[in-house]
Amino acid sequence: MFIKGFPQDKQITYAGMLWLLAAQLSVMSPLAFYLPVWLIPVLLISAAWRIRVMKGRTEQPGIVVIGALGFCGIAGLLASGIALVSLDMMASLLMLGFAYKAIEVIQRRDGIVVVLTGYLLVGVLFLYSQSILTAMYGVFAMTMLSGALIAIQQSAQQSIGSNLKLSAIMLLLCLPLMLVLFVFAPRFAPLWTLPLHSNHARTGISDQMTPGDIANLSQSEGLAFSVKFNRARPDQNQLYWRGMVLNYFDGNTWSQFQEELDPDVEKKTLQTSFSNIADRLDKRGEGIEYDIIYEASGQSWLFALAPVVSLQGEALYGRNFNIIAKHDVREPMMLKLISYPDSRRDVALADMLHQQALQLPPDGNAASRELAVRLFKTSSSPQDFIDSILNRYRQDAFYYTLRPPLLDPQHSIDDFLLNSKKGFCAHYAGSFVFLMRAAGIPARVVIGYQGGEWNNNGEFLAVHHYDAHAWAEVLLKNRGWVRIDPTSMVAPQRVEQNLQAAVQEEGSFLEAKIFSMTRNQWLNGVRKQLDSVQYRWRRYVLGYDTRQQAAFLKRLLGEVSVGHIAIVVGTLFTVIILIWGIVLGLFRKQPREAIEHRLYRRFCQILQKKGIKRLPSQTPQQFCRIATAQLPAFNQDITKFTETYSTLCYQPDRVSYQQQIDIMKRLLSKIRKQR
Amino acid sequence: MPIKALSNVWNFALNAWLSKRFPDTREITLDIQRIFVIPTRLSAALLFAVLVLGLMAINFQNSLIYGLSFWLLALIVIAIFFTYRNLAGLTIRAIQSQPCFAGEKAVFELEVRCPDNQTKTAISIGWPFQDVETVTLRHQHSVHIKLSHSTRQRGRFKAPRLTLFTVYPIGLVVAWSYAALNLESIVYPAPRLQDNADHQQNADDHAMHGAESADGSTDFAGVRDYRSGDSPRKIHWAAYAKTGDLYSKTFVDYASDERWLDWDALPIAGVEAKLSHLCAKVLEYHRLHYQYGLKLPGTLIKPQHGDAHKTTCLTALALFGEHR
Repeated sequence: MFIKGFPQDKQITYAGMLWLLAAQLSVMSPLAFYLPVWLIPVLLISAAWRIRVMKGRTEQPGIVVIGALGFCGIAGLLASGIALVSLDMMASLLMLGFAYKAIEVIQRRDGIVVVLTGYLLVGVLFLYSQSILTAMYGVFAMTMLSGALIAIQQSAQQSIGSNLKLSAIMLLLCLPLMLVLFVFAPRFAPLWTLPLHSNHARTGISDQMTPGDIANLSQSEGLAFSVKFNRARPDQNQLYWRGMVLNYFDGNTWSQFQEELDPDVEKKTLQTSFSNIADRLDKRGEGIEYDIIYEASGQSWLFALAPVVSLQGEALYGRNFNIIAKHDVREPMMLKLISYPDSRRDVALADMLHQQALQLPPDGNAASRELAVRLFKTSSSPQDFIDSILNRYRQDAFYYTLRPPLLDPQHSIDDFLLNSKKGFCAHYAGSFVFLMRAAGIPARVVIGYQGGEWNNNGEFLAVHHYDAHAWAEVLLKNRGWVRIDPTSMVAPQRVEQNLQAAVQEEGSFLEAKIFSMTRNQWLNGVRKQLDSVQYRWRRYVLGYDTRQQAAFLKRLLGEVSVGHIAIVVGTLFTVIILIWGIVLGLFRKQPREAIEHRLYRRFCQILQKKGIKRLPSQTPQQFCRIATAQLPAFNQDITKFTETYSTLCYQPDRVSYQQQIDIMKRLLSKIRKQR
Repeated sequence: MPIKALSNVWNFALNAWLSKRFPDTREITLDIQRIFVIPTRLSAALLFAVLVLGLMAINFQNSLIYGLSFWLLALIVIAIFFTYRNLAGLTIRAIQSQPCFAGEKAVFELEVRCPDNQTKTAISIGWPFQDVETVTLRHQHSVHIKLSHSTRQRGRFKAPRLTLFTVYPIGLVVAWSYAALNLESIVYPAPRLQDNADHQQNADDHAMHGAESADGSTDFAGVRDYRSGDSPRKIHWAAYAKTGDLYSKTFVDYASDERWLDWDALPIAGVEAKLSHLCAKVLEYHRLHYQYGLKLPGTLIKPQHGDAHKTTCLTALALFGEHR
């Protein structure tokens, strides 16, 4: 009932019902990627049931049946292994109810519940994925839902095309208003936090290094993160995106020490403030300001140019001058960072960390240990020793390859340094740190990414998984931790250009991919375009939060104040409403009466105030006679006015038209003023 | 009780304002000054969904969900314009009305039309708790509809303001307007025979009938005993020759079929009861194809027959007492 006293048709038509089902299906389909797939058949069976009921072939299910179905559904969700208290569970329950509702949609009110729940589920879909494709699909689902909302309210059947078109037009016209709200509406900090996903895949670099890992990663062309530099871009060979520090070597695998291993434990001891590592840092050189958007990795490890001195965003300063996300990165996350790569770190190292940086397994790799000791004895200084080792890599027949031979797991360092001499960054970094430690120089393996691909379209640097890299850090007296990349001795192209250049001869770049856009030159151009679009999407749409909004508004308005924003938003609203009015034809002039008729009507109104009412049956002449009889004082004016009006009505003369209108106006004002 | 009184005062004030704002006319075109727009309960439900989405957007810091909620908000706003457009420009005109008997429904014929190149969909026109018609103008320029309104008492029935409303397309918003058309219909008294009066009246009829027939001279009606004073021309000489008794021939005029329905002659108490009775008699005489006349205080309708005459008589009964 929209207006009191007017009953409303409560039933949904058959066409409306089908619409609703189509909308439900379009909302649920993409969610099946993230939630139990069997929810889709549940919807289809419910729908089929409903259609049978509508056609009179089956009875409407009773409350017992519906109760039993609900029980089975919830049991099914629990059996699917979804945690009881989680977003997945909430979303699945919403989906289940949404699917079951198809059985009992009879009245318009049920249909409305379905559509509104559908809108919520589109929101849930955006929790799982925020890619451009998902967003586009969300718009489609919204169009379907709105079309269904239109369809279920119709009593008479209308074509599906016209409903869909109407819904699309309405949403399209809404777009500008939505954008204004999106840009200007205030954003709030979370009111409370909820666990997002209960299980998920991890991608990217793992927190330990067995030589095979990075080789596998180098076969992936997925995006790890993208970087926008606020000022000049540093040289390619300076772009060492430092991730985690690996101190513990068991003879085969480099990993973190047990107490460092769990980022969740570590996070508890870390702080958001830079101060707890400030005294270990001697800040030098120029700062580099940049924004990074990390793709979802499911991990907390973040990659940045070390050491990060200032950060804005959901991250913490780590113990080893790395940064760690406050929560696992499950959706794209943006940070604003300032790094000072020329700074000196840990010039005076704490004893415990010193010991960690010298750890070696008790036995194994005897030849390498002996080699290190021998070379160290002949060297004049630690620097000299490092140079001689690096020289060995450069001058010996070491070979950079993504297809290294298998090494003896007991003596992997010996096997690599003395026999195969074929490997990639993990082998070089690992063997180098081993030699350093064997000679008593504190050293550690660092893994992260090196380089990146500059995208001219979007003016940003895209770092892909195949840019994964491992290098070493050595502690030198008075200089702190110094970065040394033994790989650059063997394959300078890896660092100067990229992996593809380094293994060009070998042709092993992304060789595991049967179809790779990166390898094909033309497709690579397309891929870069897509990357650029995606980057902008991430940065300007998904990353539009309180900080971005403040920055954007400042750039847009110069000065951000409530008054300013009110003026701009008010103007935009007016413009939008004007556009709507024009598009919808609301300003079309209604056919108006000719001016003489309007003047005559006014004349009648004035006389009515003076006590003479014109009945609809009276002609102007009759009315004139009555009026002059009752108001002798106006005799002349009224007669003249009526005459002029009659002339204009029955003998219109274009030439004197305006003149006569003027006469009428003058007489009218005279009659009105006179008492 | 005070609330009830207050709402009565409010309704009275509202009605006074509305009738000032929308004076009666024969034809009304709905424009921006006449159309009211207000969100429906569906809008409130959608706003609730937007609120939930907003909380999701805030807590998960999700730009896309922000966008979705803003889009739905914008949908409510644009629905105002669409719904308004569906009603604006519609013209409604009173065509004619059909009279009825008190307690029955008066039927009004209306023309609904819209400007060229426009379509109007699912517009409901009617009175609350009365008749409603839903009109869709797609390919045709205008359409005629019939609406009925119940009546209670005889007289001139003036239909209340018509309500026109639409929620098309999306039901989030209702646009409505009032059309105070000059919709007037004559309501005849409810026909109700009073038994005792009928008897009297019948006797009366007969008396009148006799008196009238005595004067008749055109058509032969029968033969009766001679009474002194009968015209010699009417003596049935043939019968006299056979029987030796004098008989008179009787004649009737057409006018002798005339019956008068006389207000003053009715032994019924109460004006309305009398009118109801007369109304029933008019219908009866009309059905029997009598010629009948109607005498009301201040009104005299000469005997006639036919539909037009019936209408005249019924109208006179309906409007009895109107001018005094």
